Amino acid sequence: MTIREFVALTQRELLKWIRAPIGIVSSLMLPFFYLLLFGQSLNLGKLLSIGGVPPQEAAAIYLGAPDYFSYFSVGMVGFIMLFTGLFAGANVIFARRFGTLKKETAAPVPREVIFGSRVTAGVLRGVIFGSVVFAIAIAFAHLPGLNGLTITGTSGVVGVVEIVLAMAFVTALFSSIFIGLGFLTEQIESYFALVNLVNLPVLFSSNALFPTSLFPSWLQNIAAWNPVSLAVDVMRENCFGSEAYYPYTALQYLGLLAGITLVFLVVFAAVVRWSLRPR
Amino acid sequence: MSIAIEAAGLSKVFGSSVKAVDNVSFQVQEGEVFGFLGPNGAGKTTTVGMLTTGLRPSQGTASILGIDVMAKPAEIRRRIGVIFQESTADDDLTGRENLRLAAAMYAVPVSETGRRVQQLLDMLQLGDAADRRVRTYSGGMRRRLEIAASLVHTPPVLFLDEPTLGLDPQARAGIADTIRTLRKEGGHTFFLTTHYLDEADTLCDRIAIIDHGQIRAIGTPSELKEKVGGDVVTIVPTRPDGEHADVFAKVPGVLGVSWTNGSYRLKALRGESIVPAAVQAALQADVGLASVSVKRPSLDEVFLEFTGREYREEEGPSATDWAVRVQRFRGGAR
Repeated sequence: MTIREFVALTQRELLKWIRAPIGIVSSLMLPFFYLLLFGQSLNLGKLLSIGGVPPQEAAAIYLGAPDYFSYFSVGMVGFIMLFTGLFAGANVIFARRFGTLKKETAAPVPREVIFGSRVTAGVLRGVIFGSVVFAIAIAFAHLPGLNGLTITGTSGVVGVVEIVLAMAFVTALFSSIFIGLGFLTEQIESYFALVNLVNLPVLFSSNALFPTSLFPSWLQNIAAWNPVSLAVDVMRENCFGSEAYYPYTALQYLGLLAGITLVFLVVFAAVVRWSLRPR
Repeated sequence: MSIAIEAAGLSKVFGSSVKAVDNVSFQVQEGEVFGFLGPNGAGKTTTVGMLTTGLRPSQGTASILGIDVMAKPAEIRRRIGVIFQESTADDDLTGRENLRLAAAMYAVPVSETGRRVQQLLDMLQLGDAADRRVRTYSGGMRRRLEIAASLVHTPPVLFLDEPTLGLDPQARAGIADTIRTLRKEGGHTFFLTTHYLDEADTLCDRIAIIDHGQIRAIGTPSELKEKVGGDVVTIVPTRPDGEHADVFAKVPGVLGVSWTNGSYRLKALRGESIVPAAVQAALQADVGLASVSVKRPSLDEVFLEFTGREYREEEGPSATDWAVRVQRFRGGAR
C-alpha cells in the first residue's frame, strides 16, 4: 500500500501549495521580472553587432536560437527549476517546527515515501512553473514593444516530452538535495543561508543566462556539467531545432541528466532515512 | 488478560550525562488505562518516545503486544496510536483532510476511510468544523482532532502524552470524557502521561509515579493513597484552644492526632468509621464542635510521600529540553 501513502502525502504537499496563492505568485514574480526587465534591457545581439560580430557568428553564439531573448528565456525556465528545487526543503523545516513531521514519522510510512512524496510535489510545482515561464515568454513575442520567445524547432510531441522530462529531472535533482538538507537542518535561517550560497554560483556557472562560448574555458568546463545547463540544452535543442550547434543530441543530454538525478535521489533518500532514525 | 506494554530496565541517557529515564520497568495489561504521573522533566515524554519507536533506549527493552519495539519498529507503529503533546495536524488542511491523510498513512482500506473518518468526526464532535481549515480550530478542537487522527486505524494500544496540556478546564473535562467513552467502547489499552494529579486519579486504573527518571511507586490510585496512611478526619472545635488532642487520641482506630490551623487532624485508615466515636468523645470531654469532615488523601499527598517533595505542576525545562540544549552547546547537529 506504499503507493497510497505516497499519493496522499504528495497530494497534501500540493494542497498546501495551492492554498498559498501569494507564495505561488511571488515565486513567479522573479522570472517574470527577469523576462520583463533583464531580458528586455540586455540586448546581447546589439552588443555583439556593435562589437562587429557578423549575424552568422551571433547565431552560433546563441546556439541556433533566433535572438538573444529566445536564447535567454529558455534559460529562465531552467532558472525557475533551480529556484523551485532550492526552496523545496523549506517545507520540511516548517513541518518539523509545526509538528506535522512527527505524525508522519510515527506512522508506518516508509522513510523513502516521506522523502519521495516531497520530491514529487517539488517536481510537479517545477514543471508547472516552467510551463508558465514558457507561456509568458511566448506571450511576450505577441505584445508590442517586447522581445519574446520565438520557437523555431519542429520536434513536436517528442520534443515536448523531452522538455517536460528535462524540467522534471533537474527539479528532482535540486529538490532531492534541498529536501535532504531540510531534514538535516533545524533552523530556517541556516537553510536559507545554504539556499543563497548555492543559488547564484549554480545559476552563473550554467548556460541559463549567457552563452557559454563567451565564458573563460575553466567556466565553460563547469557549465558543461552543470545540471541546469544539461536541462537547458535539452530544451533549447528542442525549441530551436539546433542539434547542429551542440556536440550531443537532446536525448543524450537528457540521459546524462537522468543518470545524475538518479544518483542524487538515491543518495538523499538514504540521507533522509538516516536523519529520521531513532536516536 | 495478557500484557499490552512491557518495559524492562528502560533507560535513556542524552549526551553523556543527562539521564532522562533511569531503569524503568512496568507492565500494562490489555484494556487498562495506565498513567505516568510526574512533574515536567520527570521522563514521561522520553519514556513515551522510546515505547513509540521515536527514541532508541540507552539500556533495557520494551515490547508492545509481545513485539520488541526496537527490533520491529514498523510493526509497532501499525499497532499503536500516538497523541503527542504538540499539535501534529496540518493547519492548511481541513479536519477531514487531516484524518483522511492519517488514514492513508496507516493504510486504512480506501473503502472504509470515508465512513471511519465521519464516525470519528462525529464521535469527537468535530462534524460541524470538519471542512474548515485546522488553523481556525480552538485548542480543545485541535486536541480532539489529534485523538481522532490517532484512532483512525483503530489501534489496540494508544499513547497519550499530556493530552490535556494547556487546555482550559472545560476542554480538559471534554478530553477526559472522550477517554472514558473510548474506554467503555473497549478494545484499547491506554498509556497516559500527565502532570495533573486529578486527571491521573479519575482516569487511570493504575498509576506509576515518576520523578527524576525513576518510578517511585506503582499501584491503583486507592492503593497508593492507602500507602500514605489512610484518611484525615478534621474536627474544628468551637473553642480554638487545641487542648484536647489526647481526648481524640484515645478513640479506637485513630492512628495519630495533630493540631493545625485551628483544627484537630485525626489520621485513620477508614475515616468514616471513627467519626461517631470521635464525636462522642468530644461530647464527653465537653468540647464544642463547629464541624467534622472526612478527607481521603489526594495524590498530592501520595506524591509527597513517594518523592519526598511537594508536587508542583510547573517545573523547569524537561530533561529532553536540557539534553537538546547541552547538545547544541556542544555543537551537535540536533
